Amino acid sequence: FQSKYDKTLFSDELTRLTKTRSGGVMKIVREHYLRDDIWCGSEACSGCKQESTVLQTDACMESSLCSYPHYLVPDTNVVLHQIDVLEDPVIRNVIILQTVLQEVRHRSAPVYKRLKDVLHEKEKHFYTFTNEHHRETFIDREPGESANDRNDRAIRVAAKWYSQHLKTFECDKDGLKVVLLTNDQGNKQKAEESGLLVYKCEEYIKSLIANPELVDRLALSNDDKNEIGSSKVLFPEHLPLSRIQAGIKCGSFLQGTFRASRDNYLEATVFVQGEGDDSTEVLLQGLQNLNRAVHQDVVAVQLLPRSQWVAPSSVVLQDEGAAKDDDVEEEEEEKAVTEAARKPTGKVVGIIKRNWRPFCGMLNVSQIKESTRHLFTPADRRVPRIRIETRQASTLAGHRIMVAIDGWPKDSRYPNGHFVRSLGSAGEKDTEQEVLLLEHDVPHQAFSQAVLSFLPKMPWAITPEDMVRREDLRHLSVCSVDPPGCTDIDDALHCRELENGNLEVGVHIADVSHFIRPSNALDKEAASRGTTVYLCGKRIDMVPELLSSNLCSLRSNVERFAFSCIWEMNHKAEVLKTRFTKSAINSKASLTYAEAQMRIDDTNMNDEITKSLRGLNKLAKTLKRQRIDKGALTLSSLEVRFHMDSETHDPIDLQTKELMETNSMVEEFMLLANISVAQKIYDEFSECALLRKHPAPPPSNYDILLKAAKSKDVEIHTDSAKALADSLDGAKVDGFPYFNTLLRILATRCMMQAVYFCSGMDSDFHHYGLASPIYTHFTSPIRRYADIIVHRLLAVAIGADSTYPDLMDKHKQSALCNNLNYRHKMSQYAQRASVAFHTQLFFKSRGILNEEGYVLFVRKNAIIVLIPKFGLEGTVFFDTKGKTVPNLVFDEEGPTLSVEQHIFCIFDKVKVTITLDDSNVQHQKIRMSLIEPVITGVSVPAPDAEPQAKKLKLDN
Amino acid sequence: MATVKVSEAEKVYILHGIRDDLRVDGRGCEDYRHMEIETDVVSNTDGSAKVSLGHTAVLVGVKADIGKPRPMVPDEGYLEFFVDCSANATPEFEGRGGDELGTELSNTLYKVFDNKHSVDLKSLCISAGEHCWVLYVDVLLLQCDGNLYDAISVAVKAALFNTKIPRVHISADEEGTKEIELSDDPYDCMRLNVENVPCVVTLCKVGHRHVVDATLQEKACSVASLIISVTHKGTVTCMRKTGGGSLDPESIFEMTEAGKRVGKALHAPLMTLLQEEESLGKKRLKVGFLG
Repeated sequence: FQSKYDKTLFSDELTRLTKTRSGGVMKIVREHYLRDDIWCGSEACSGCKQESTVLQTDACMESSLCSYPHYLVPDTNVVLHQIDVLEDPVIRNVIILQTVLQEVRHRSAPVYKRLKDVLHEKEKHFYTFTNEHHRETFIDREPGESANDRNDRAIRVAAKWYSQHLKTFECDKDGLKVVLLTNDQGNKQKAEESGLLVYKCEEYIKSLIANPELVDRLALSNDDKNEIGSSKVLFPEHLPLSRIQAGIKCGSFLQGTFRASRDNYLEATVFVQGEGDDSTEVLLQGLQNLNRAVHQDVVAVQLLPRSQWVAPSSVVLQDEGAAKDDDVEEEEEEKAVTEAARKPTGKVVGIIKRNWRPFCGMLNVSQIKESTRHLFTPADRRVPRIRIETRQASTLAGHRIMVAIDGWPKDSRYPNGHFVRSLGSAGEKDTEQEVLLLEHDVPHQAFSQAVLSFLPKMPWAITPEDMVRREDLRHLSVCSVDPPGCTDIDDALHCRELENGNLEVGVHIADVSHFIRPSNALDKEAASRGTTVYLCGKRIDMVPELLSSNLCSLRSNVERFAFSCIWEMNHKAEVLKTRFTKSAINSKASLTYAEAQMRIDDTNMNDEITKSLRGLNKLAKTLKRQRIDKGALTLSSLEVRFHMDSETHDPIDLQTKELMETNSMVEEFMLLANISVAQKIYDEFSECALLRKHPAPPPSNYDILLKAAKSKDVEIHTDSAKALADSLDGAKVDGFPYFNTLLRILATRCMMQAVYFCSGMDSDFHHYGLASPIYTHFTSPIRRYADIIVHRLLAVAIGADSTYPDLMDKHKQSALCNNLNYRHKMSQYAQRASVAFHTQLFFKSRGILNEEGYVLFVRKNAIIVLIPKFGLEGTVFFDTKGKTVPNLVFDEEGPTLSVEQHIFCIFDKVKVTITLDDSNVQHQKIRMSLIEPVITGVSVPAPDAEPQAKKLKLDN
Repeated sequence: MATVKVSEAEKVYILHGIRDDLRVDGRGCEDYRHMEIETDVVSNTDGSAKVSLGHTAVLVGVKADIGKPRPMVPDEGYLEFFVDCSANATPEFEGRGGDELGTELSNTLYKVFDNKHSVDLKSLCISAGEHCWVLYVDVLLLQCDGNLYDAISVAVKAALFNTKIPRVHISADEEGTKEIELSDDPYDCMRLNVENVPCVVTLCKVGHRHVVDATLQEKACSVASLIISVTHKGTVTCMRKTGGGSLDPESIFEMTEAGKRVGKALHAPLMTLLQEEESLGKKRLKVGFLG
């Protein structure tokens, strides 16, 4: 490239420094280079010496306004607000100017990312023109011109340049033109004056003959809004950002994240992060005080005077019905609140940052037939309903759709939005899965070309160069033990006797970090996904399938790279030596837990692998005993497994997962490897080791467990993990074998969430549940990104790989940990939601079932029942709408609930009937009603379960 | 300071020439050498000027920053001077060799410029007692060929003329805490009134006469010189004597008169030149340091 050093020192930008640096002023000067070798990217151009072109000659979008081939040049606001339209496959041959790109990047990161994705898509023919560096299209800001005006002018200049350029250099003159899209009146007028073809975005989209449905995706622009909202002002004005900032600085406002209540649409809390642990929650009540904030927005709140503080209402209130806004205020009166229950209460004065994303949900089709305005109900109850305009209401009814919010004017009861896309009919498996993934923010789109380009070329084989730095362990009889159907095999094991009588045990973990190099697109994508998400019948991979199911997966009888952790142990399972090495292995067998168990138990088998497994099993038992002696907790949660129909993928049976000895065998060695690695990387990098901790729960968390145990006269000690583990072991009630499991389930609910953290940012490393002073994740790099980082750290520690700056930066590590924790949490939620959905599908196909269960919790108006057979939890309400409410007395001490004459305690055995309540398509629910004990007016007579179900019940 | 060695014969030659109002380079006693001025040469300052006088070359940059006003004058801003005697100018400045001269020069600059009669210091006040603009005037000597004071003073005046101070708005909220906000338009700025900014004229007593803008050779023949700062009206605002020799009252008077005359004559063309350059705006061809 020849570059012209043409004009330097163009932009003298003045920027303000913050007060922290004594309010100084700094002048920033940048050199700006202009060149004359920036090509126009058009196939039709004969003047530009470009190698490849993006824009087509035959740029035909059938529009009634432009009958000639044309390229579109949208301005910044069009891109920001109408990205949904631009993403549509119909819109092609668009020139995105650098000015626009930069402004979009500056104003909205999500839109920028979407725009970049569109630009990368070959079929879209979107071209970025770097007009800011083009000699003929660069313009300098003029005196008295605002930055926005300057950008608008730059866009006009570039559009003008394009139209002249194409006129001059077009090879076969079929009148290729450039159309500027802008919604700004002033800009449009100026563009017209300079002889450009210019249309408003709405005008243009409406003119597209072949695709009338695109109009629905148009975001509402400012002047359209007025006609929609009623004239009365419903909400107080938001304060400008400058006032908010000043207010926050002087303490009159508080900044926090808005969290709408799931149960009551008129209530929300704002979580205000204070210094250290000093965080508060501010309660907001009433539409006026919520003031158009949407769940997850960052808002500024003002506290109300103490006299106006209220207590959170325990009423469940859903925004039902079409437009009953007025019965809202009534609720507030009935509260005779005790002083203690009052919480800091406030009102939203302004929005600091909107966190709007497209929401999944369904359309409430308007009663009026011709109406194009409809209300949309998001799946997430915390998000308000959104008013959208669409002409396809009849086709969209019954579909799951996505809607984006455009704005919320102060005279409108609901925010205004526009239709983005349809996900499919509600209730269908694929649609619901998509909803689930979107609602839990799980990145699940196919891997981009950029990411795939970093995959190794196939066919792949180990080369001699690879072996220089690796230990050859291919001769060892290594095998893997996993659940059935597992294709991403992270780990393999071996055990053999050494000449000195000791045992050598090796844990071999897939060497993912060999294939995923730091900071490339593949690495970034994996870091952003953070974890593989397992749904029922579907896996959302963190790394592309070639790696996850092939090159990294330690399958049997193929040579694979591994990162090995090898111990020398004596027969008492004491570790004598630990060593880490990169290696190559050749697994001799991929077994399932059951197969492994069978080999161990079958005395006739005496091959290498079986011997190895027996050795491992024996050591694992010792290890487990040692660990439990130290105070590790064995908790319980019922995991559900579906038997899927192989063709329809519908669940046909459901059972709780069984645990075998071999499960715990693999687990023991993984724990041991993780602990060994954690110690090693922490010793080597005390500031930037990525570790995992599990904080001890605050004592108050155990209240429910203690009360529950007490009701059965069992004493539980919670002073330490060891005490808890011991007392759980001792907790037994005669004639109630399931009691212990129930107690462990309750104990699980008391626990804190384990989190990743960077050792340099924290001082408490303890893992409460495992009773280990230090812990990390090393053993599943295919499905967890944390493990990849740990692999890299360990590789640096043993000199097997080189380091890179981000790895040693504790702040970057810490930011990464936050993302990993978030993704991990979301993937668990998604998993649970997937199980819940499949459970519903199952019960839908099974009809009505009668089952026995245990009371797990007692609430004011309900009991929560666990059905051990299905691992299913459900709520039995006693105050169903439309029925006479029985006499309910709740005693918090017990906790017990007396319904009429019967008293419910935790652990009571009950019999319920299970049905699927699909009255609300969006929120299908498993409904349980009481059969036994019989309470008149409350319990229902046992309905006849369907024959199939009965049979099941009989053999239980 | 940079010095040259001059032989007796040369001295006599120079002395005799000056006695007849004819200097070695052909100038008269009250003539300056060729002077070149260019403003706005350093883009990351708020105002700058480069002046060359014969082979003497100086560069002045002005940087405006927000500071606290001096307690005695809460409603005025102030100037800070720093003179960097770069070793590029002469090898004698190497190491700490230029420090003494630098201090001497900057002390004189404080006396000449940092008062309300020369610069409208009140216009530099942002909010009395709290914030004011502080103008950091940095002088860099690029080459020394005599008569540094005059060259520096012209460059300072030109740089102050060129200075663009960003406009600020003070917003106060209910609690009375004030916040300074910068205008986001880079063209929205305040200019200084440099009308009263004086220039320095150095007169060297050579023999019985005195010369303006002495070269190094002439300086070597001189026993004492008088540094006078003169405004455009011919008012003398400051005076200093340097050099080891003594001056009799009569010649001080004569030299002052000559200084006033020369100074007055220096201001007028300087201002015309600066305004002319300013009016060219962005079209002006920049010469910079390579031209």
